[in-house]
Amino acid sequence: MSLTASLSSILAPLPATLADAASATIKPAVASPDLSWAGLILLLPAISAVLCGLCAARGVKGKLPGVITALSLLGAFALTLMLYMRCPTDAPRTIHLFDWVSFAWGSGAAEGAKWTSFLAPFSLYVDSLTLLWMLFVTGLGSLIAIYATEYMESDVGKGYARFFGAVSIFLFAMGSLVMGGNLILLYLGWEGVGLASYLLIGYYYSKPSAVAAAKKAFIVNRIGDLGLALGIFLIWVNYGTVEYDALFQAVTASTDSLNDGSEWTKAAIPYCLMLGAFGKSAQFPLYVWLPDAMEGPTPVSALIHAATMVTAGIYLIARTYPLFQLDPGALTVVATIGCITALLAATIGMAQYDIKRVMAYSTVSQLGYMFLGLGVGTTFGAVYHVFTHAFFKALLFLCCGAIMHGMAGQLDLRKMSGLRNVKGFGIISWTFLIGCLCLAGFPFTAGFFSKDSIIAQAFGSGNDRFVLLGWIAVFTAFLTAYYTFRVWFRVCGGPTKYEPGDELHGHGGDDHGHGHGHGHGADDGHGHGGEWHPHGPRLAINGVLLLICLGAILAAVPAYLGGPHQENNWVMKMVSHSSAVGGIPAHDHGASHGADAHAHHALSFTGIADVHTATSVVASVAGILGIAIAAFFHLFNRKAADGLRQTLLSNSLTRWLPIAMENKWYVDEIYHATLRVPARALGHIFEFFDKSVIDGVFVDGGARIPAGLARVFQPLYNGVLQGYAWTMAFGVALIAAWVFWLWLQGGAA
Amino acid sequence: MISSLLAESNMSAKLTLIAPEIFLFVGSVVVAVLGLARSASVRRAVPTVTALFLLGSIGVTAYVYRSDAVEASNLLLPQLGGFVKALIAVIGILLVMVAGPAIDRRLEEAFDSGGAAFDPIRVMRGEYFAFFLLSLAGTMLIANANDLIWLFLAIELSSLPTYVMVAISRGSRRAQEAAVKYFFLGALSAATFLYGFALLYGASGTLDLVEMRNVFADMPELPTLAILGGVMAILGIAFKLAAVPMHFYAPDVYEGAGSQTTAFLGFMPKVAGAVALMVLLGVFWTPATDATGGATAVLPNAILATLWMIAVLTMVLGNIGALLQRNVKRMLAYSSIAQSGYLLIGIVTGPGAGYNSILFYLIGYGVMNTAVFAVLGSLERQGEEVETLDDLSGLRQRQPALAWMLALSAIGLIGIPPLIGFFGKLALFAAAIDHGQTALVIIAAITTAVSAFYYLQLVAVPMLGSPTARTDAVHAVPSSWPRVAAIICGVGVLVMPLAIERLVTASGATEVPTVQSLETAAEGPSEDASEADSSAPTEVASR
Repeated sequence: MSLTASLSSILAPLPATLADAASATIKPAVASPDLSWAGLILLLPAISAVLCGLCAARGVKGKLPGVITALSLLGAFALTLMLYMRCPTDAPRTIHLFDWVSFAWGSGAAEGAKWTSFLAPFSLYVDSLTLLWMLFVTGLGSLIAIYATEYMESDVGKGYARFFGAVSIFLFAMGSLVMGGNLILLYLGWEGVGLASYLLIGYYYSKPSAVAAAKKAFIVNRIGDLGLALGIFLIWVNYGTVEYDALFQAVTASTDSLNDGSEWTKAAIPYCLMLGAFGKSAQFPLYVWLPDAMEGPTPVSALIHAATMVTAGIYLIARTYPLFQLDPGALTVVATIGCITALLAATIGMAQYDIKRVMAYSTVSQLGYMFLGLGVGTTFGAVYHVFTHAFFKALLFLCCGAIMHGMAGQLDLRKMSGLRNVKGFGIISWTFLIGCLCLAGFPFTAGFFSKDSIIAQAFGSGNDRFVLLGWIAVFTAFLTAYYTFRVWFRVCGGPTKYEPGDELHGHGGDDHGHGHGHGHGADDGHGHGGEWHPHGPRLAINGVLLLICLGAILAAVPAYLGGPHQENNWVMKMVSHSSAVGGIPAHDHGASHGADAHAHHALSFTGIADVHTATSVVASVAGILGIAIAAFFHLFNRKAADGLRQTLLSNSLTRWLPIAMENKWYVDEIYHATLRVPARALGHIFEFFDKSVIDGVFVDGGARIPAGLARVFQPLYNGVLQGYAWTMAFGVALIAAWVFWLWLQGGAA
Repeated sequence: MISSLLAESNMSAKLTLIAPEIFLFVGSVVVAVLGLARSASVRRAVPTVTALFLLGSIGVTAYVYRSDAVEASNLLLPQLGGFVKALIAVIGILLVMVAGPAIDRRLEEAFDSGGAAFDPIRVMRGEYFAFFLLSLAGTMLIANANDLIWLFLAIELSSLPTYVMVAISRGSRRAQEAAVKYFFLGALSAATFLYGFALLYGASGTLDLVEMRNVFADMPELPTLAILGGVMAILGIAFKLAAVPMHFYAPDVYEGAGSQTTAFLGFMPKVAGAVALMVLLGVFWTPATDATGGATAVLPNAILATLWMIAVLTMVLGNIGALLQRNVKRMLAYSSIAQSGYLLIGIVTGPGAGYNSILFYLIGYGVMNTAVFAVLGSLERQGEEVETLDDLSGLRQRQPALAWMLALSAIGLIGIPPLIGFFGKLALFAAAIDHGQTALVIIAAITTAVSAFYYLQLVAVPMLGSPTARTDAVHAVPSSWPRVAAIICGVGVLVMPLAIERLVTASGATEVPTVQSLETAAEGPSEDASEADSSAPTEVASR
């Protein structure tokens, strides 16, 4: 009671229009056994994982595991496309594959009755949200698998099969997360992608930092998973089902007000789910694992830690959006956390020198935008940003990976310059530029449209708090443009100059074989004695880069075709036919434009009446300004950047700023001091207690009791027939006497 | 009497339902004759023929239990037989795979090498499998018992052959000693439950179980004679389950008998005992309504208390007794005592959920039990059986498949998810909690935790131990059939949870007797009971 009440009072709730916007818009699902071939989308990666495991066991030397994985993922993509074509989107479809978890109890264990049965069949819930997600998951998954067949070739015969096995497991788990018809399947997938992520971050397991990063990711995610698990428990407790279809019907049918305070278990549901989403999608305060996760091979960073897995949190909230709409306070928390994360991660990203780390922090920051979008009520904006971000961030990571691949593991932006002029790096440089433009929100790119739809909703929501968040988001967009182009101008612009990496980044100790010329990038080594020269990527990497680049560009097309308020946007259509219907124009656009007074006030200096257009202009100006500043400091006048840093450092008032930013605001250190050290101390105390008291007294002592009892009874088992017969007869007599005694007491019957 | 007339009209239905038993009986005769053949290849075919007869009996069961005869048979639990017979036959086939090559192995080797001339007096294989089939037929018959005489004869038919099987299971004096102990103590238990049956007859004036139930339901208060009869009968049948206080024979007999026969003893008598208790207790369960108005059933206090006490003691003493054992067969004997305690939880829970959970539990238990003994039966040390934990040390390095199967089934026996043993225990415990037997479940959970200690030895010693000079002499037996059985069962422990829905549905063979069913049953066979029956519900509630 107190929890709800206090949270609701601290965080001023949204107008009630949002809360009941969802009413009855989610149609009951239609069972579609004719679509059961969609199960193959899950089966193919599973088979591929098994085959990769067999390859690893047989010690296959060759690219066979990569080929198997790429083919199976392409197959899954084709099937998803087919499902998209064939599956009508008028109502969600459920596809029952087989019974999985099925319990019933109690006297009223009728079919499907609430609280007396626990049903989690292995069924798929397919609506347009599912399809949208699966399209880019399988599509990008197969492209990145193809990329990885070349990228991982130095590991052929060693970890190659292990790598692709884990990628296949990931795709299977992601599939069940997205397509599963109930929260238990979602949880299975949730843990499955966590496992795959752990395996892949720790892929170079001989490297201590990789192992530490893998453990960190796993442990931090446990906190979030606890929230998700609790959320699922509470959903079952309150609604009596974990199946989406029944759940949504129960949620929309329930008329009881949430804020009566008596049902805190119901009120806690969105907060628990939120915690799960924040863990998986790396939001403050649980974001710390994601930057470290870059220890894994780069295709993994692109696939799992940028494009797909980290969006699972967005998916979770979008999927269970009706539950969030019941409690506007919860949405406010989501928006606030998202915005804080976006800003924090952007400031850290500005001061990093490792280009993969910059991209990692930008991922955290962009995920923050998506949560902001969910929180302010535009699920469309959030999902569209997921969609565009998946393409351009995968592209950026793959570019980073290709640079790293060619530069012997070099990732430091101070040690590379002017790569656009190096032979073999042309495609990388220009696709990288397009990715950067999208990320920076340069006008008329995909990232521009999706980001703007989020910021515009923040301004247009008519809520002062959200307007403030909107301004923070605009400022963050400016920072984003700056740090993105800082990377590009440093690495691809300027005079050509580079030095090879020491293989410390990502290729952990194993010989990558860059020292010998093999025909790539055969120009002289620019001051490196001609012994080492970078080698450009070959067909698989370049081809995939171009394809994903095309995807990143084309991701803007739905916005062009979408009309002024994006009502004809393809993504909008997909979202509005799903359970994430909260942000569709029919409801809150009406609400937001009704509240345009706020928007006018907030953006009145632009002189533009329409909030969307005004936002576009403001955000474009912020982005272009960021790019311009980056160009000044990192392209034209690099000395000025160092000078600025020195100036800041030499002034005692400001010297904390660059230091704190370069050290990631000391968040890891704070966690270390406030959580890890006490936890470790507690662990030592418990260990002592465990060894001396629990083990010493209870366990050893307790173990002596049964053993001692056993010794007491041992003489009875003396192997003598008469003894046995006598004891048995005695036992029978004893019990008969006891019944007699009961009879005397008059209680026998 | 009307019932005798009805019995005649029911005769064909009854005969139809026992067709699987008749089939097995024919099989036992065929097998006994084949086993005496002069040709070694014919004798070698005996286990195969046995298995084929069992396979046939599954088919017959499936066919028979789809007919109208089930409803016409006038049994307390009409559908019980179908499940029990199929289960017995399936596990029976696996047990034949374990036992087939072991019986008479030395003798046959001597015949082959010319070390001995063929002597029909000395060959036992035919006899063993004939008795094997007879015992299974007896166990199946229990499920169909509709009166006390039938029940008694069926229990005896399932017991008597096992005494002989123990005696001839291996050429060792310990086996004969075990058989003698088993026989005499078995006779004692038979006397006990026969005495109980006599008291029940005295109290009710009828032998027919349905009629007896109706007579008891009509009585305003259950006579003490009936309660004492029930208690004695339960105690006698407890011998089949090896439940306290009738469990003393189990460690000695299990240790003395050959591994293949111990596998049999670990499962079939349990089924016989559990099913006999279900059938017999049907006369005591009276329908009632629970707090929410749902159908449930209650037992007379004294009977319930007896079962409760036996269950608790059996779980506690069985699990504690197993702790000290280094001999694997003795350890498993105690563990099987403890498993009977878990089965008794289901008995206490009652018809419907409780009985169904027992039937479901038995599926997993049968497979896991067979797996463990199949592993033991696949190994030998200098021509002797592998018996102690020390013999299994480091098994993984020599026989990885067997070690894994042993580990899987031991973990399954503890009841760790996701293996089938977990779901069995879950079903039992959930049903018991649902019917208010929380205390029993708590005790069961604690004793299960204790059981992990000794079961995990079956995992740790083979998997983590290192081979010693002693284990160097441990080899696989020449025949691969026990290994195949071990692998089938071990894999089954792992994959059966995938078909959990089917298994649960299959084991849903009993239902709570409702007041209505009691009334309709009463209207049928005994006219004079029907009028008094209309007032039964209130009496039941007050009882």
